[in-house]
Amino acid sequence: MTFDILQYGFMQRAFLVGILLAVIIPCIGVIVVFKRLSLIGDALSHTSLAGVAIGLILGINPIVGAMAACIFAAFGIEAIRKKIPRYSELSIAIVLSVGIGLAGVLSGFVKNAATFNSFLFGSIVAISDFETGLVVGISVLVLLSFILLYKELFYIAFDEQAAALSGVPVRLVNTIFTILTAITVSVASRTVGALIVSSLMVVPVATAMVMARSYKQTVIWSVVCAVTATLIGLFISYYAQLKPGGTIVLTAVALFLLALLVKWLRQLLRAARMKGAENEST
Amino acid sequence: MPAECAIEVKDLSFGYSDVLLMDRVSFCVNRGDFAAVIGSNGTGKSTLIKLLLGLLTPANGEIFLMGEALSSFHRFSKIGYVPQNSGSLAGTFPATAEEIVLSSLYSQIGFLKIPGRHHKKIVLDALERVGMRPHAHSLISELSGGQQQRVMLARVLVNDPEILLLDEPTVGIDVGAVTSLMEILHRLNIDRKVTILMVTHDLSHVAQYLNRVLCLSDRNFAEDAVPQELIVHAHAASHELPHGHIHCAACEEPHDAEQCAVCTHAHESGGKS
Repeated sequence: MTFDILQYGFMQRAFLVGILLAVIIPCIGVIVVFKRLSLIGDALSHTSLAGVAIGLILGINPIVGAMAACIFAAFGIEAIRKKIPRYSELSIAIVLSVGIGLAGVLSGFVKNAATFNSFLFGSIVAISDFETGLVVGISVLVLLSFILLYKELFYIAFDEQAAALSGVPVRLVNTIFTILTAITVSVASRTVGALIVSSLMVVPVATAMVMARSYKQTVIWSVVCAVTATLIGLFISYYAQLKPGGTIVLTAVALFLLALLVKWLRQLLRAARMKGAENEST
Repeated sequence: MPAECAIEVKDLSFGYSDVLLMDRVSFCVNRGDFAAVIGSNGTGKSTLIKLLLGLLTPANGEIFLMGEALSSFHRFSKIGYVPQNSGSLAGTFPATAEEIVLSSLYSQIGFLKIPGRHHKKIVLDALERVGMRPHAHSLISELSGGQQQRVMLARVLVNDPEILLLDEPTVGIDVGAVTSLMEILHRLNIDRKVTILMVTHDLSHVAQYLNRVLCLSDRNFAEDAVPQELIVHAHAASHELPHGHIHCAACEEPHDAEQCAVCTHAHESGGKS
């Protein structure tokens, strides 16, 4: 009775796609946050909307359009970041502006507004078999790449200069990561929504950072938080008849606040114990 | 003798836009030296380190590391580099001391390969050498400034460097931590014959460990004044000078650190002590 939600094929697909994205988005997010590029998801997802519009106008698959636009935007961010390294966050703002501007202008030429709007907040319960297959394929690719490049990505995020001096192929690894970020964002835009994907990239990482005691734990906790938020969000959205994308993100934010509360309570408890021990000794 | 120079610089010039920061700099830091680079702000001390690492390209001149021209030098894993404020920058990263030091073992682990037990042992040994073994699993952000700086030192020690380049390693840490850090560097210099070149503003606390000081003036990098034959015989050269005394390029004789501050001031005003 409780799990009648799983009787429906569209919900089974939603759970599969949601969980896979909840695993790979924080993996990308961890590196993005530690490279001080937290808003890159925003810039790419908005640019993906421009790609969706181009796809719909030209009559090609909008996800392919989104992917091409995202890859182009991601390399644009990297190129601008290198030109102004001291203000690297400006590169995101510039590409974000281009993405919003283009999406705004091009959306006026799209005949099927409903399809375009579905990319804004996503439609995880209405995805096709092709899109499910795409998410599965991309998830495997991103996860494998992340595991294989784990130490290289860590080193570059921590100290790019030292990594280059040690012989890490920084340019190659950054290029691979940029492509992975772009395709993850574009495929996630279709499912959880372009306006929401960047939140899933950052909020679980922020939650993990409150609890983790190492980089490895940060990665693991980020994935756990994102998967938990996705599962709870999908359940709530189904039974309360809410939009799934927004519900998932709000659940992720609730988990973050809960983590902060738990940390604060533990600190209070520790302080009380120390005070008790001091009183006993005197 | 060029072969004895761990770091040799010939007629090095460098500038940003049209402003010349260094003009025909020439010096040699011998193998086993513990040298400091001093000078007022903006004289190119940190720039010099970046030039030595090939991170910046000079307008003119040549650089040799361990007798090999920088343009063909590839053994950068044998050059340990601790950048300015590296400890405090690392303090914002959610990683343990062990994870941070392990990342520097890249050249021994290799591309796309997973670190083994052997690598973790090297990391723990490096942390042991800087007295940070008990904090291996601590978050770097939870360590003090001095402890963070020692972890940064352990990062470069894992590759068993022949040359250490340190940019203001004592900035932002208390006197006790400075002494502790300098003792570790001193032991590396004496026991492992590691050549050390350190940019510093803090001569008063580090002078006793140095066997030469390279003074930077506003435009010219003064050549070290220590006689060549003295350097050759001064392998554990901190013993060559009285406690707390240094050689300064602009001065005729060794003097203590307090005097050198005056000397540096004289350089800034274009004079000579």
